[in-house]
Amino acid sequence: MNDFINKIVELFGTPEYIDSLLHGFLLTIQIAYFAIIIGILLGTIIALIDTAKPSKWLTVPKFICKVYTTIIRGTPMALQLFIMFFIIFAIKGFPSIITAIIAFGLNSAAYTAEVIRGGILSVDQGQVEAGLALGLKRRTIFFKIVTPQAIKNIIPALGNEIITVIKETAIVSMVGMYDLNMAAKDIGSGQNMASYIVPMFVAALFYLTLIYLISFIVKQIEKSLRKSDSRMANE
Amino acid sequence: MNNNTELIVKNLHKNFGENKVLKGIDFKLIEGERVVILGPSGSGKSTFLRCLNWMEEPTSGEMYFDGELVTEKNIRRIRRNIGMVFQHFNLISNLTVMENMTLAPIKLKITKRDEAEKRAKELLRHIGLLSKADAYPASLSGGQKQRVAIVRAMMLSPEVLLFDEPTSALDPESIGDVLSLIRELAGRGMTIVIVTHEMSFAKEIATRIVFIDKGKIIEEGTPVEFFEHPKTPRVQEFLKKVL
Repeated sequence: MNDFINKIVELFGTPEYIDSLLHGFLLTIQIAYFAIIIGILLGTIIALIDTAKPSKWLTVPKFICKVYTTIIRGTPMALQLFIMFFIIFAIKGFPSIITAIIAFGLNSAAYTAEVIRGGILSVDQGQVEAGLALGLKRRTIFFKIVTPQAIKNIIPALGNEIITVIKETAIVSMVGMYDLNMAAKDIGSGQNMASYIVPMFVAALFYLTLIYLISFIVKQIEKSLRKSDSRMANE
Repeated sequence: MNNNTELIVKNLHKNFGENKVLKGIDFKLIEGERVVILGPSGSGKSTFLRCLNWMEEPTSGEMYFDGELVTEKNIRRIRRNIGMVFQHFNLISNLTVMENMTLAPIKLKITKRDEAEKRAKELLRHIGLLSKADAYPASLSGGQKQRVAIVRAMMLSPEVLLFDEPTSALDPESIGDVLSLIRELAGRGMTIVIVTHEMSFAKEIATRIVFIDKGKIIEEGTPVEFFEHPKTPRVQEFLKKVL
């Protein structure tokens, strides 16, 4: 126990260690942040193509989306990361952070697409019919009726996907990137503290804090979106 | 009552995949008529009603509204003149009662927002639900939802109102409220087509009864003809069971 406390003092008393952890954490956040944005944008496009009414113009795009999500969801993330690093972007001097962002973004898009697709499909068809019967345009129905209701269904699952991406980025240490996970391993190694427990414990706390914060924000958004579900509203 | 024809349906067929639900229906609706569609469950009566405003696109056949052939191109404009009330109310759950009522008139640029809101308030006051104007549908009872759905349809001043089993999802106590609102619209000369299982209401409100079975119109006539002197054995058998 004394040793543990000593190690804590050593970690927090050594600016280089703190610096490494913070740098690693920053890289983790950067990769996750941009990957999530790519995931949401691309995922939305895939979901819209997938849920659109079948027509001859969409036959090929729909097929491509199916193949894409099947491949991404059917292969390990670590393998996708390797393929990006050692095959597709095996260009000397190409910034590894960009490669990682693309790898995680393309992966997240497939899962986000499923989340958004499910959200759109779970909107009661009667809600669409109400709009149609009133003579509203499909576009008005989509933006005023389907989208707000779908978002309510999407937010909780999207929150999970964001959390998953943040945690999954830890595998970039497998291609030698210095993220939070790698920083913990490095600080704990023989050349440094020669003890893994404290740096890894601290890294875990960093991840936990970030993820707890995100869950909290998602819960708040969920709560504000639930306004119209409440039987108590306006009473 | 004048004799303006609102709607003509010629040889209407509707298939769901292999399943032939409507097998050649001819139908004419005159302004001011109140047609009640009866039939056993699975007869195609709801599908027929839903074909009238193309909630279900007919597989074949022709439809004319106000003399104009209904097509995929003009159906959206025509729907403004055909209000519909659904069995499950279908109030838009992310919009308040007021927004439900004013969305279409504003979006279709029929009235300005303040005019639409004024009219919505009048209608809500009339049905005793003005205090619910800013409430979301989830906080309303079934009967309240359906009455809002009816006045929402009235916001566009349609020429025809379609009712698809408007009381089937309601508790007995709310049924009376909804029926009296429909009765009131009928009294004001509204042209109505209604699918219902409320036999006494059908008898009371209808100017004509249409009986559908297995996707075809088997018999039609005035309520007196239909209920007192049914011509076909199928209707006689049906009435024996339900009355």
